[in-house]
Amino acid sequence: MFRNGPWPPAGMGTRMRFHRLAAWVLAGLTAVSLAIVIAPGASYSRQDREQLFAAASPSHPAGTDALGRDRLVRVAAALLLSLAGASAAAALTTAGAAAVGAMAAFATGAVRWTIMLLCDVFLALPWLFLLMMVRSALPLKTSPARSAAITFMVLAALGWPACARAVYRGVLELKNADWMLQARAAGLRRSQTLHHVVPNLLPLLLPQFLVSVPAFVIAEANLGALGLGIGEPLPSWGGMLLELDNSAILLQTRWVYFPVLLLILVLLLVEAIMVEA
Amino acid sequence: MHFTRRSVICAAFMQVAVLGAYCAGQAAPRLPGELVWAIGYDPKTFDPAKVDDIDAETVRYLTGGVLLRFNRLTQKVEPRLAESWSLSHDGKTIVFKLRAGLRFSDGSSLTSRDAAWSIRRVLLLGPDAPAADEFVNPSAVTVESPDSGTVIVHLPQRVIGIGKVFDEIAVEPADRPSEGRITSGPFVVADYRRSQFVRLRRNPYYYERDSAGASLPYATGVRLDILNNTEQETRLFLRGEYDLIDHLPPDYFELLRKQAGSTVRDLGPSLNTEQMWFNQSPVSPLPAWEKAWFQNRAFRVAVSQAIHRDDLARIAYFGHATPAYSFISPANRLWYNRNLSAPRTDVAAARSALLRAGFRWSGSKLEDAAGHPVRFSILTNAGNAARQKMATLIQQDLAALGMEVNVVALDFPALIERLMHTEDYEACLLGLENVDPEPNAMMNVWLSSSPNHQWNPSEKTPATPWEAEVDREMNRQATSLNDSERKQAVDRVQQIVADQQPFIYLVYPNTLVAISPRLQGVEPAVLEPELVWNAERLRLRGTQ
Amino acid sequence: MRKRVLAMMKWPARMLSILILVMTGTTILVRFAPGYLSDEREMDPRYAQAARIELAEETSRSHSLLQMLSTEVSGWSRGDLGRSRQFDIPVQELIWPRLAVTGELLLRSIVLGWMIAISGSMVSGVGRNPSMLWQLPATLLLAIPTAAMATLCLLSGKGGPVLVMALLIAARDFKFLHRMLRKAWLEPHILQARAQGIATSRLLVAHVLPSLAGQLAALASLSIVTALSALVPVEVIFNVPGLGQLAWNAALNRDLPVLLAITLIMAIAVTCSGMAPGRRPEWERA
Repeated sequence: MFRNGPWPPAGMGTRMRFHRLAAWVLAGLTAVSLAIVIAPGASYSRQDREQLFAAASPSHPAGTDALGRDRLVRVAAALLLSLAGASAAAALTTAGAAAVGAMAAFATGAVRWTIMLLCDVFLALPWLFLLMMVRSALPLKTSPARSAAITFMVLAALGWPACARAVYRGVLELKNADWMLQARAAGLRRSQTLHHVVPNLLPLLLPQFLVSVPAFVIAEANLGALGLGIGEPLPSWGGMLLELDNSAILLQTRWVYFPVLLLILVLLLVEAIMVEA
Repeated sequence: MHFTRRSVICAAFMQVAVLGAYCAGQAAPRLPGELVWAIGYDPKTFDPAKVDDIDAETVRYLTGGVLLRFNRLTQKVEPRLAESWSLSHDGKTIVFKLRAGLRFSDGSSLTSRDAAWSIRRVLLLGPDAPAADEFVNPSAVTVESPDSGTVIVHLPQRVIGIGKVFDEIAVEPADRPSEGRITSGPFVVADYRRSQFVRLRRNPYYYERDSAGASLPYATGVRLDILNNTEQETRLFLRGEYDLIDHLPPDYFELLRKQAGSTVRDLGPSLNTEQMWFNQSPVSPLPAWEKAWFQNRAFRVAVSQAIHRDDLARIAYFGHATPAYSFISPANRLWYNRNLSAPRTDVAAARSALLRAGFRWSGSKLEDAAGHPVRFSILTNAGNAARQKMATLIQQDLAALGMEVNVVALDFPALIERLMHTEDYEACLLGLENVDPEPNAMMNVWLSSSPNHQWNPSEKTPATPWEAEVDREMNRQATSLNDSERKQAVDRVQQIVADQQPFIYLVYPNTLVAISPRLQGVEPAVLEPELVWNAERLRLRGTQ
Repeated sequence: MRKRVLAMMKWPARMLSILILVMTGTTILVRFAPGYLSDEREMDPRYAQAARIELAEETSRSHSLLQMLSTEVSGWSRGDLGRSRQFDIPVQELIWPRLAVTGELLLRSIVLGWMIAISGSMVSGVGRNPSMLWQLPATLLLAIPTAAMATLCLLSGKGGPVLVMALLIAARDFKFLHRMLRKAWLEPHILQARAQGIATSRLLVAHVLPSLAGQLAALASLSIVTALSALVPVEVIFNVPGLGQLAWNAALNRDLPVLLAITLIMAIAVTCSGMAPGRRPEWERA
């Protein structure tokens, strides 16, 4: 009776099948990537200096990059690395936004005032410089993988405020919704109503998660300019996407579009899996 | 329902169509006969005496009238506003005879008083005027103007290449500094829109004429767009909005070669070098064993031998670079040491040299005698694709020796802080731009006491005997009156550097330019400003 | 009545606290960022001397954080935003012309982005069977980096900064709007109305959109944040002489006075966007 959630839509059966199919495809994609990366003889860093920007061939099914490295292995490794990092960071930041937004909405006036004020301050500060400080605090010899992990964590820690504000608004509205008032009047405690709030926030939280994943993949690559992010020779998906802004590279081979197409596919799959059923 | 959906889709498409009409990257409209190209940033000043960045220097070059000009093509000093000049035998007195009938761009006459005032102004500004520094002891220099056509400069001591210093002193109207609005050079600053463009117009009173007697400059003006974006610059060049591009990155050179083949030119090796060096400073916060590696000549030579410079040139520069072994480029014909013997690529020799120096392999990883694995980072600046590629190639080359290398790119201020202030880095890969073929201009890099002595800055006394020898030889070339003795000294420094590898030279990037087929009169030079050093003689086809 | 006065006092107090906190935060972040006291020209023998003199001045000026802050606050209270470190001219002269350029760009792209997002989500969310196909364009736009999108525009010679920003805002907002509309569309009373055969357009205008007004306002502030974050790459690549480009140059040159002015403008924009319609009642309820 308290559920304000979506009505079971028509064609629920096909929806569920589609949803399951998407999950299988994504799992398959991950498994294939893993297999490509750990296959004997595969290396994301070996430079075949006689085969720069090579076209697809049996030895390099997706050709090679500017340094003669196998593009397929690099894309597969980047898929595992960047996607794991970006999804983890996106999940964290979405959870953070939900927690802060909900906390503000349920807190007393002064606390709410302070939280929303901090959100606004947070949004305006030039965090670029914090990232620079993080880099200068890390030893230069920090391994590329650790530097990548730290970068994603910092991104997660900085990404929440914009969404927290939207969540706050959403929760306020729910708090004053008829069903909630009724529940409170019926004597339910706040903690008891809370778990009804979360499902109703999904229309805000899911898109936030979906939008954050590609944003973090790209943000990681942009941070390469500050010495953060996934360092060479590890492949970075964001780094491959950024090749698209250089028309000189676009001219070399069509395979540069491969990572972006794959990212779109992955995002659509994630979207399909997370579509509220 | 149906109607709503269709109308919404139509509306959406119309919006996109309307938006498409806003065209990307429009440059300001070109005035008739105007030349247009891009400079990277806003000039910091228009005051010719206070120029302290490259973009302001371009503006000064185009607007400032000078007594002497260093011809970028012939690399010789030529008289300009001065009809003739002479240097006394002891090198301490310079006499300039001005041309008759010189005028400033506002029509007022230009006399020796203006020239003397302009030189004095530079001297008096001291540290605010970088040109003053080149007089070595500017406060002791005196300037006289005995008559309206003569200027005499007295120096306290001989200065190598003094003629070229006057290339940097623009003659301005005495007591009326105008920040480029009244000049004696070919152009005058007409308009400046911050972060958009600097517009120069022709100086109608400029003295120079071509062989047919037509007054120069040919072009009615120059617009320098402020644009630090190669992608845009290439697009605007292809659309005919820009007439030239200097300093074209190699990947965009290839792009233009494919799209507009006839416009690009590879001028061969520039005077610039790309190099890598290890931090040898004893006061750096690095652990003692790392300092020991970096101060070990065998270690540096082994690294140098493991690097495949041909691959760097071929892959990182698409073949538009030349492998380098010395700080002087073969483009600098006079000073390049042709008999240099430098360590060449030889991985086997590198491995055995490391063994002899006490390093050993544990599995495939290199360790020093105390068992510390050889791991270090190479720092470079972000945003330079060729450098980052070189670093990644070197990473792979050194992995063949069992060294584990991290590549870190930082933005320039953070990089400079590590190089110049905290000295907290292990190795660095950067380029050095040489605007002057004269080795005397590189004193700051080689003297051990200089803060720009990168591998070990500001040494109180030379840290090693070979650095002491470099100091001696550099001082010898700076004071000697004999050209062959100077050449000998500079050759010796090149050999010491090749033996010791404090800087591991990688490549000389080639000078890559694009020139519109409409632009006439271009004579590319390797010295800056490469394409526009004879700006007064450039014009667009079809304009008079 | 007293409550109302108190509520009215809250707004300026909030603004003031935000400005002071942002000012302090920015000063700390920039001052202690690596490279605050270094200059690219130090590496160039020709200009090293001049660069070192400027740095020495800056070192003495920025010695104590408290002193820096008090100078900034007193300057700002007098309406003096200081002098730019990189251009050596008053910050006001730099900011004003650029503020107009950026303001226009933001306004145009947000309005157009919203139009695209709302029309797109109506089509996709209000169907009988919304297909995944509708997600494709939005996902495509989100997956391509802003810089790459701008480059594509440059390459094709079509579209400009407004288009890129609008598409980005549209793609992001679409993700939210689509879900909100879908949810509202499937509410029991709407289903009932649909079953009774009431026209879609009427339903949308009279029931769905008004019920979403609050969430739409929240989304508005989110799209301003999106737009602000896309501002830097878009302005840099299209060479638009706006605040984003200035902010980027200022960051690379550690130009604190300019950065301070820009972040404070951002803070005001962000705060005001949070005050957008729908805010007042909440404040009064609070």
